[in-house]
Amino acid sequence: MSDNHNNLSSQLNQGLVIFIVLAFLTFIEYMVAITNQSLLLLSIAATIKAGLVLYYYMHVYKLAKLDEDADQSSLTWKITTNRLGFWLFILSDAFLFAGLLVTRFNLLGLTRPDLNQVLGLIVTGVLLVSSFFMNRAETYIKAGNKNGFIFSTVVTLVLGVGFLLGVVGVEWQEAPFSAGDSAASAVFFMMTGMHAFHVLTGVIFLGIILNNGRRDLYSSENYWAVEAATIYWHFIDVVWIFFYPALYLIGILG
Amino acid sequence: MQNKKHFIIITVLILLVSVLTYYALLSIGLMPVSASIQSKPIDWLFDLEFKLIAFFFSLIMVPLVYSLVVFRRKDGDETDGPHIEGHTNLELIWTAVPLIIVIALGVIGADNLKQVLAVDPQAHQVKVVGFQWGWRFEYPEGFTTNTLYLPVDQQVLLNLESTDVLHSFWVPEFRIKQDLVPGQITEYRITPSLIGNYKVRCAEICGTSHSYMEAPVIVLSQADYAVWRDDQIKLAKEQELASAGKPDAGRGQVLYQESGCKACHSVDGSKGVGPTWDGLFESNVPLADGTTVAADEAFVRESILMPSAKVVKGYSPNAMPNFSYLKDGQVNDIIEYIKTLK
Amino acid sequence: MKNNELKVTKVLAFYLGGQILGLVLGVIIQTLISGAFSTTYFLDLSSWLFGVLLSLLGFFYSLVGYYGLVKGLVWQVVGTLAGALFVSLIRFFMGLEPFNLTTFGFSEPAWVVGALVGTISFMAGVGAITDWYKWALGEKTADHHHDIEGFKKYFGVSLDHKVIGIQYTVTSILLLCIGGLFALVFRTELSNSSLEFLSLQLYNSLMSLHGMVMIVSILLGIAGVINYLVPMLIGAQDMAFPRLNAFSFWVAIPAAVILLSSLALGGFDTGWTGYPPLSVRAPLGMSMFFVGIWVAGWSSILGALNLIVTVLRLRAKGMIAFRMPIFVWAATATSIISLTATQMIGLAFQLVLFQRLMGMPFFDPTKGGNPVLFQHLFWFYSHPVVYVFILPGLGVISELLPVFARKPLFGYKWIAMSSLGIALVGFLVWAHHMFSSGMNEYLRVPFMYSTLLVAVPTGVKFFSWIATLWQGKLTRDLPTPFLFVLGGIVVFLLGGLTGPPNATVSTDLHLTDTYFIVGHFHDTMFGGYIFPFFAALYYWFPKATGKRLNETLGKIHFWLMTPSFLILTLFMMRVGLLGMRRRIADYDPALNFDVWHLAMTVSAYLIAISILVFIFNIIKTVRGKADATGNVWNSRSPEWLVPSPLPAHNYDQEMIVVGEPYDYGLEGSKYVEFIQKEVL
Ligand code: HEA
Ligand code: HEA
Ligand code: HEC
Ligand code: CUA
Ligand SMILES: [Cu+2]
Repeated sequence: MSDNHNNLSSQLNQGLVIFIVLAFLTFIEYMVAITNQSLLLLSIAATIKAGLVLYYYMHVYKLAKLDEDADQSSLTWKITTNRLGFWLFILSDAFLFAGLLVTRFNLLGLTRPDLNQVLGLIVTGVLLVSSFFMNRAETYIKAGNKNGFIFSTVVTLVLGVGFLLGVVGVEWQEAPFSAGDSAASAVFFMMTGMHAFHVLTGVIFLGIILNNGRRDLYSSENYWAVEAATIYWHFIDVVWIFFYPALYLIGILG
Repeated sequence: MQNKKHFIIITVLILLVSVLTYYALLSIGLMPVSASIQSKPIDWLFDLEFKLIAFFFSLIMVPLVYSLVVFRRKDGDETDGPHIEGHTNLELIWTAVPLIIVIALGVIGADNLKQVLAVDPQAHQVKVVGFQWGWRFEYPEGFTTNTLYLPVDQQVLLNLESTDVLHSFWVPEFRIKQDLVPGQITEYRITPSLIGNYKVRCAEICGTSHSYMEAPVIVLSQADYAVWRDDQIKLAKEQELASAGKPDAGRGQVLYQESGCKACHSVDGSKGVGPTWDGLFESNVPLADGTTVAADEAFVRESILMPSAKVVKGYSPNAMPNFSYLKDGQVNDIIEYIKTLK
Repeated sequence: MKNNELKVTKVLAFYLGGQILGLVLGVIIQTLISGAFSTTYFLDLSSWLFGVLLSLLGFFYSLVGYYGLVKGLVWQVVGTLAGALFVSLIRFFMGLEPFNLTTFGFSEPAWVVGALVGTISFMAGVGAITDWYKWALGEKTADHHHDIEGFKKYFGVSLDHKVIGIQYTVTSILLLCIGGLFALVFRTELSNSSLEFLSLQLYNSLMSLHGMVMIVSILLGIAGVINYLVPMLIGAQDMAFPRLNAFSFWVAIPAAVILLSSLALGGFDTGWTGYPPLSVRAPLGMSMFFVGIWVAGWSSILGALNLIVTVLRLRAKGMIAFRMPIFVWAATATSIISLTATQMIGLAFQLVLFQRLMGMPFFDPTKGGNPVLFQHLFWFYSHPVVYVFILPGLGVISELLPVFARKPLFGYKWIAMSSLGIALVGFLVWAHHMFSSGMNEYLRVPFMYSTLLVAVPTGVKFFSWIATLWQGKLTRDLPTPFLFVLGGIVVFLLGGLTGPPNATVSTDLHLTDTYFIVGHFHDTMFGGYIFPFFAALYYWFPKATGKRLNETLGKIHFWLMTPSFLILTLFMMRVGLLGMRRRIADYDPALNFDVWHLAMTVSAYLIAISILVFIFNIIKTVRGKADATGNVWNSRSPEWLVPSPLPAHNYDQEMIVVGEPYDYGLEGSKYVEFIQKEVL
């Protein structure tokens, strides 16, 4: 019991450390961007952040555990198979966002649209904090702590909705251009729009696991749906890790 | 022993069939006449590739047919073939040899492209405008035609522009093709080498009448070209003077046919991509935004110079290209012509 | 007997009734739209297409009742209307014109949203997402579904990979016929110069749809073959995610309906490539085309995902990578491409759609857009996809050659690796479609090299095939599947060898956008897909049904199709070299191409007849009795070691791999052994 408890708190702590590092790196990015234009530094920072999220929050290393010989009707075998499928889906989806980045750099080059920097930093922060809580939700359900899971999921969900409101409700309305004005504005709306669409589906996903979690459908052995929602949510975060500098930080005002 | 015999036979056959295939290809006459300096290296590369095709075609087909014929089970034979799983050296060979060929082909191809693109700083320039669905050639001397005249043996740089969608400039006898991209000027260098009449044909689908987007290309001797050019300069001057003086429906009709209006506007009431001009003048034209406008001179002029300003109901707003290159006098001529159709 | 006749009468009555009802409906709608009645509406294309839609509905209804497919289609129609009305309502409140008579009643955004809502309704109606919906609500669902007996199971959702495989295959053949029919129509127009019975716009629509319908047909066809074969070949009970599998298949149906509806909704004139700015200006049909392909893309992506997981997780004991049947390698390589690259065409089409609907100027140069960007995104998918078309086909060739030559597959590992090689190098060559497009010039030479490189792994396949055949013990009388294998090799060789001239830039500047290219890709697609596809159908038909297709009819099919097809494509290349542009409805009579084109048209009709022979063969065989339940081809492959057709869960016994897959000619060797399953 206490061993389990120790394990839980050390895992929660790990999540916190990662969160602090991510927040720090984001801040560095912002400072780099407003002081000098270093595409290289920004790319390195984003790559490090993405790597941290992939490893510590999304647990990409779990893919390597294929336990080929396990009984094909066992739960672990099924979850491993599901995980593999889900990651392939993520990989496929990543190509969509990569395509959007290609579009952005092809059309805008090293210029960027004129956006509200403070707001950008705020929504980025909101998404980052939501990731932190998502990680906690998963950690709690893994430890069989239902209340912790519910609380963290609710916070994640609320932050997710907050992010949506920030982007669609405020940033879109405030932008000094409309979608049809120029390629730059079109790119801005398309990138944030596609990302927001994913956030929206993520929020729905969170709603589903919250509802089912409340009804005790998950246990510390069988919480695949939560794991999937977690991976998905962090994936959305990884996308934003690249979109944020691409839209707000890189290049000169165009 | 047995095997060796088979290999010798197919080697001979492969060589024989390659040569026969290649000469069969040659004798059909595969390419249109070559009418430019640039087509020489291109045809040379084609020739090399026909040889390659003939060879590899035989290399596969001969043993294939041979196996079918020679190794087929005899009647009553129920045995399986020999148990041969593979042969690493053979596999290496038929990976490496094509690899070498392919790299060589790449080097040759790159060099060939360089020859084709060779720049003559002395090249004279013509601006080519492609639009749905016609071609216009604007000479630096200040006149515009619908037939491309070029002097033989002198490089010309065509600066290609499109007013609407993608098109592609292709004269088969010149070999080269280049797309016209809206918002971009693409370059097409050619040195005609054979006097004669050709056609430029649009090779990128560009909508309804893509099939008919053709224009004559005439290659003249240098002397004839100079005469033609001086004529055109004179003619252009005269025309400008004339249209500036008094608009004329006859010239308007010629412009209707030659500037491309005809592709979309009929004069007999039938519906095309654009509204018919029959009965247009002084009629009331319903617009897409719900209002109507009287088709007076001002409206017609605006429709020609800024087609999207007032869009006729039932027609798409971006269909008609912008004709602002037309000179004032020419617009007057067209209006005069439209007046005669009312 | 009496009963049968009654049934036929009923089916015919529903079919014709649907056609008439649809026609009348179409005329009424047109009358409402234009405000005046005219008898010409009875001849109008869109009225007829309404008729076709309803007649098909009636046809299926008379067969299976209000179930599965029929229900889905009805829901799709209702969903489309509901979605479109919803958007119209929003437009009304936003002060925009809610309806637009020039775009067939609804405004364009309404049509697009309607199409998407219709797709979801279809899926709900047919029942392909019921289980997921229940999961989301936290309900449990049965682990296994039992299919209903008889042919009716093919019209509704089944989770059995064999049923899904057959559903895919039949749909694919249907689309092949539709696409082929379009080709026949426009080929008739091309049989001599001057425009005879098609309008320019209709020609363009038919030609463009021919291309895309055929491509969708191929995508479904390979999905069919892969679905049917892979679990069987690797000794699995089913695919890894059976529900996802059913979803992937069923979502392709509304996609095809949307794609085909573009013909009734104004058509479009861009070719299958849909390049902007032309596609921004094209009529409403363009949007339906984009949405249709976008939806079909999901079918491809999810199917590929499923396959990769299946191959990674569900192989029989002892089936290490290099003991997998060669077809499984090909299927995996294919799936890697579909899984990833498909997103790019989805994105490309989505961007144009948004430019059409909202004026977002991605490709409008006057506002900073770039038309060439579209081409990069498009070809990043559409080049690799050509290898999606052929890899399974080449896999079938590699799979069947040893069986008929009675010899091991020569250089198994090399062939396996060459599939991966082709797939991976295939990702790096896309710009060879853009040599004359005005893209950055320095890109041309590197893309020439990468393109030429594909010839190397493809060559490895050819040489290994020849080495497999060499000294092979073919039977006196060559069976039909083997004929198609041979045809595939020869035709694909012609197509492949006409690739390098396109790849070297300077020659491509002459060839691009001519009939030479058209000839090149019909050869590669026929040789790499159509021929092997028929080979697979003739070969595995006994497995699926226990009945063997008639050999004589099969040979007529082959000997009619192959020479006609060679004439068709070789003549295409000939006129292409001489100056015949592609995508033109009419050509200059001065070019003297009329004779050549007439020959091509005649060949096209002969191909069509051969396909009718094939369809007749299928119908005849299916109605015959099951007498080929054994190892028809004397193969070593596991599926032939058990009686046909297979039971719902494939193998009653557990399969263990004990040897090499293709050890023909080795006395006493075995590929697999079956052991009694442990009873729990
Ligand atoms: C199944 C489909 C398929 C396949 C397999 C291929 C295979 C190849 N294709 Fe093709 N291609 C298409 C379908 C396909 N293509 C389509 C649909 C288009 C037109 C799209 C459109 O615009 O609508 C097209 C267009 C196209 C173009 C663009 C033309 C243009 O529009 O300008 C090019 C240019 O490089 C090209 C090249 C090649 C090459 C080099 C191969 C190679 O992979 C071929 C390799 C095979 C061999 C070479 C033969 C066997 C090898 C040997 C026997 C070894 C020895 C050989 C040598 C050393 C040469 N193709
Ligand atoms: C696998 C793909 C595939 C297949 C099989 C075919 C098959 C055929 N194709 Fe296709 N073709 C393409 C893919 C394909 N094509 C593509 C991608 C394009 C490019 C489009 C573009 O430029 O955008 C193209 C373009 C294209 C052109 C160039 C058009 C142009 O540029 O203007 C031509 C011209 O002759 C042509 C002809 C044919 C013919 C005669 C057949 C024949 O083989 C067809 C034979 C007939 C059938 C297969 C139907 C038989 C069935 C029946 C008659 C039964 C009907 C009844 C029932 C419904 C039960 N095709
Ligand atoms: C590619 C097709 C196209 C070409 C070429 C074209 N037009 Fe048009 N034109 C249209 C369309 C479509 C409209 C209706 C929509 C609009 O008003 O923009 C139109 C409208 C007009 C009108 C408005 C009045 C009316 O009802 O016809 C005039 C005047 C006109 N065109 C003149 C010209 C002249 C002069 C030329 C040639 C120098 C020309 N057009 C070439 C497509 C074309
Ligand atoms: Cu211009 Cu085709
Ligand atoms: Cu390609």
